[in-house]
Amino acid sequence: MSRIGRRSALGMAGAAALAGKTGAQGAEVKIAMLVPLSGVNARNGQLEQMAARMAVEEVNAAGGIKSMGGAKLKLLEFDAGDSPEKAKDAAQRMIASEPDLAGGFGCWHSGLTLAATEVTERAELPWLTLSYSDLITNRGFKNVFQSSPPADQQAKEVLPIIMELATKATGKKPAKAAIVGDNNPAVASFLKPMRDYGFKDAGLTLVADEIFTAPLADATTIVQKLRSAKPDFLLALSTNVGDDKLLVEKLAEFGLSGKKLPVIGNGGHWLVPEIVKLTAPENLEGLLISLANWPGKAHAALEKRFTDRTKEPWFGHDSIFAYAHVMILKEAIERGASADRRKVAATLRSIDITDGPALLFPDGRLAYDEKGRRKGAKISIVQYQNGKPVLVYPEAAASAKPVWPKTA
Amino acid sequence: MRKGTAEKFRRDLTILLGLSIVYLGFAWFVTNSYYQLILTLVPIWAAFSVSWNILSGYAGQLSFGHASFFGIGGYTMTLALVWWDITPWLGIPLGMIVAGAAAVVIGVPTFRLRGHYFALSMLAYPLAILYFLQYFGLAEVTLPMHRENPAAYLEFTDPRYNTLVAVGLLAIAVFVCILIENSRFGLALLAIRQNELAAEAAGIDSKTWKMRALVVSGMIAAAAGGFYACVQLVVTPDSTFGMLVSAQPVVMTLFGGVASLWGPVIGAAFLVPLSKFLDAFASDITLWGMQFHGIQGVVYGGVVIAIILSAPDGVFWTVRDRFFKPKAAAPLPPMKPAPIVAASDVAPGAPLMVVDGLSKSFGGLRAVNNVGFTIAKGEILGIIGPNGAGKTTLFNLLNGVLPADEGTATLAGQTMLGKKVHEVCRMGVGRTFQVVRSFPRLPLIDNVIVGAYGAGLTDQEAEDEAVRALHRVGLADQASLAAGQLTNKQLRLMELARALAGRPRVLLLDETLAGLGREECDDVLDVLNRLRDEGMTIGIIEHTMHAMLRIADRFVVLNYGAVLAEGPPREVVENRTVIEAYLGKKWLAKHA
Repeated sequence: MSRIGRRSALGMAGAAALAGKTGAQGAEVKIAMLVPLSGVNARNGQLEQMAARMAVEEVNAAGGIKSMGGAKLKLLEFDAGDSPEKAKDAAQRMIASEPDLAGGFGCWHSGLTLAATEVTERAELPWLTLSYSDLITNRGFKNVFQSSPPADQQAKEVLPIIMELATKATGKKPAKAAIVGDNNPAVASFLKPMRDYGFKDAGLTLVADEIFTAPLADATTIVQKLRSAKPDFLLALSTNVGDDKLLVEKLAEFGLSGKKLPVIGNGGHWLVPEIVKLTAPENLEGLLISLANWPGKAHAALEKRFTDRTKEPWFGHDSIFAYAHVMILKEAIERGASADRRKVAATLRSIDITDGPALLFPDGRLAYDEKGRRKGAKISIVQYQNGKPVLVYPEAAASAKPVWPKTA
Repeated sequence: MRKGTAEKFRRDLTILLGLSIVYLGFAWFVTNSYYQLILTLVPIWAAFSVSWNILSGYAGQLSFGHASFFGIGGYTMTLALVWWDITPWLGIPLGMIVAGAAAVVIGVPTFRLRGHYFALSMLAYPLAILYFLQYFGLAEVTLPMHRENPAAYLEFTDPRYNTLVAVGLLAIAVFVCILIENSRFGLALLAIRQNELAAEAAGIDSKTWKMRALVVSGMIAAAAGGFYACVQLVVTPDSTFGMLVSAQPVVMTLFGGVASLWGPVIGAAFLVPLSKFLDAFASDITLWGMQFHGIQGVVYGGVVIAIILSAPDGVFWTVRDRFFKPKAAAPLPPMKPAPIVAASDVAPGAPLMVVDGLSKSFGGLRAVNNVGFTIAKGEILGIIGPNGAGKTTLFNLLNGVLPADEGTATLAGQTMLGKKVHEVCRMGVGRTFQVVRSFPRLPLIDNVIVGAYGAGLTDQEAEDEAVRALHRVGLADQASLAAGQLTNKQLRLMELARALAGRPRVLLLDETLAGLGREECDDVLDVLNRLRDEGMTIGIIEHTMHAMLRIADRFVVLNYGAVLAEGPPREVVENRTVIEAYLGKKWLAKHA
């Protein structure tokens, strides 16, 4: 039965509204983007959307999929909303209404990705994600590819890097660490290896451990406890911009801003362009953020294309991932010379390159292991310097040197 | 099963069967997996709403926290699968058992509260559980995929089977509901909803019935939650225990029609597809070059508000009231002879109820002060007194609404004090209230049967007794009218019939004549006289002296909580202290 036939079987009034999406004519390869375009994470979804659209335009402008006679890439956008049910619903809708998708990527937030990939995996649709949760690639799925270093790995890596940065800058090893974070599962899995052995191995004492339920109403009591605990650095593991803002402002109010107390955040939300409009830039200065990807010195031209086009202040974590994911899908389609999702998935499972889209990661390698995790994926560290976030780690890709704030 | 409802039972069952077959037949031809998902979700949410309707619709115990049970079902099934590899086919029943136990744990403390306090306390449970789950790292649990033998794990590759299971689940839920509606269970719940005190005074053990309703309701909700998790493949505290989950059955049932069998089903059948289609298409609408992601929530809210404003009772009741007039009723069967009176009863003229030294204080106010009197078998005792004399408080002490501070009260030698309201009723004390408590949507006969059930009669006896009671008060012709259509006088007589249907040994009537016109008053008095002639013993509270003079055999006059005078009516009304209490010293001085 044709797709139109199926739809009319239900006599759907809204069928016409979808017609724009489904009127595939000629040589066209469809890929899907399922990201939050409404709800609390909508901004992150938009940052992905802008870069993905740019990537698709660039691919098509450069001649499309050459091995398929210059077939054009077509990006289909779906809203993952703000809850796992909505993301899963949207994924189901996507699979049902677009049976000829070659692949897709999303959904930014781990909870949304976990739910949506339950659907894409059953449909054997190759799915790329920047989400961190290691649960995503611990389910034995064959068609989910995690480009970020998963949370457990990030958690293992981040402490030694912090220790290294601190020791280089101050000449002595930090001894006291503090945590403030919400009870999001991503935070829990990020903290687990540190709590299990990370702090002990690094010779650190945990002097404050403040876990709250997002959204934070008031950070005063938390920051008061931090001040009296006098840590050498603080892991600030909030998970949304609103809480980030409350935290840095309260820290600044108590004289603990990034210039005084080394504060290390985790995740792309610390670096959405809004944050500089929401809070004074000096509250952010010196802040270090560990995350899965950030454009380095090699991406200046790409960054300029993006900022010129979108008027965004910078080309960040969410955008470079979306850009990379379009390029990776294009590469896989190109190599297999087919838009068949099974072939695309097979290519992604076997690909191992250090050029092309691989260069969109600081470590410069594109290969996925049997779990679907990107081999050699490494954490990146970004620091707010003069009001702008710059990549400071890994050194090879970094566009600036890290500054370790001197503790008072 | 009540005999009188056999026809309704058959009709509802036929509709259920027909709807299920039509729905499944339709679903079988839907190949788009997203539309199929919607077809699966409709019966799941409908089953959840049906469960809510049992507790909050029929029994009127408004619950804002039904997600507790939904979530327990979802999480029990999921964790059993993840931790012990127990198939959802067993995990869902397991979840129902856990939810049934949880219902008891939740019900015991929470049923001590009433009204808004109950509703708000129920809200607290799912929210508390939600934080527990987050704390224990169960904030996102995915169901492991079974590539081999998926059907054994309730994971169908063809989503039509999901719809089949969901429809089966809903059919079971609706069937349970049909059973409840057509049995004394349903009638007891309706009686509790209308007025818990009146229901207890009619002999219904409200705590037990409410608990049963909560357990049944919780188990159905758990089944819905368990299968919902199977379909969603991921459970999170918010998607199973969240506020929005608790709100779903409330909105759907209010939309479809509270306390009706089909209301929750109608609500789900309309609102679930509406919200899903809005999700699917709202974001495709482009106006002035802008897309409005998330606009679906606004549209959905608007539609719900518009429909609820135009059909405030819910779609079911509004449509029924407008298009389906109740059929002309079958004539009431003739009265059967009265059963033989219990041998233990006292002889006519001997004291049946003996009250001695009864007292009750509210803080410093002695509302009832050392009151003593007797009611002899077969007499009508009028209890009179000015406003605030303590008459209603006295009745409340006698039938267990309030505990007495001191004193004794016995019925044929058995003590009446220290018992619960429904226990006093079962001793043979029938009670009516100052303000009539009827069940407006129920036919008159069902309003009366409640009283017979309360007395612990079997279905057959209860029906015979209700029929006899209606004949005795002269309402036999109105038996099938909805109580909402009755006049004030008929409502008074209906209350009397409800009390009579419980085979009382004594009737305590609280201002039965209040608000009646002169002629109506005469009619009711005739009925009371007739009852006395049949040997009924009656204690009646009344304001209006002249009406009382016509029927009471003896008077007890209360003033400031104490007995002022007692004796034959003529004697009492000429008593100076009584006149003074009613009309004041000045009047007495002028007319003496």
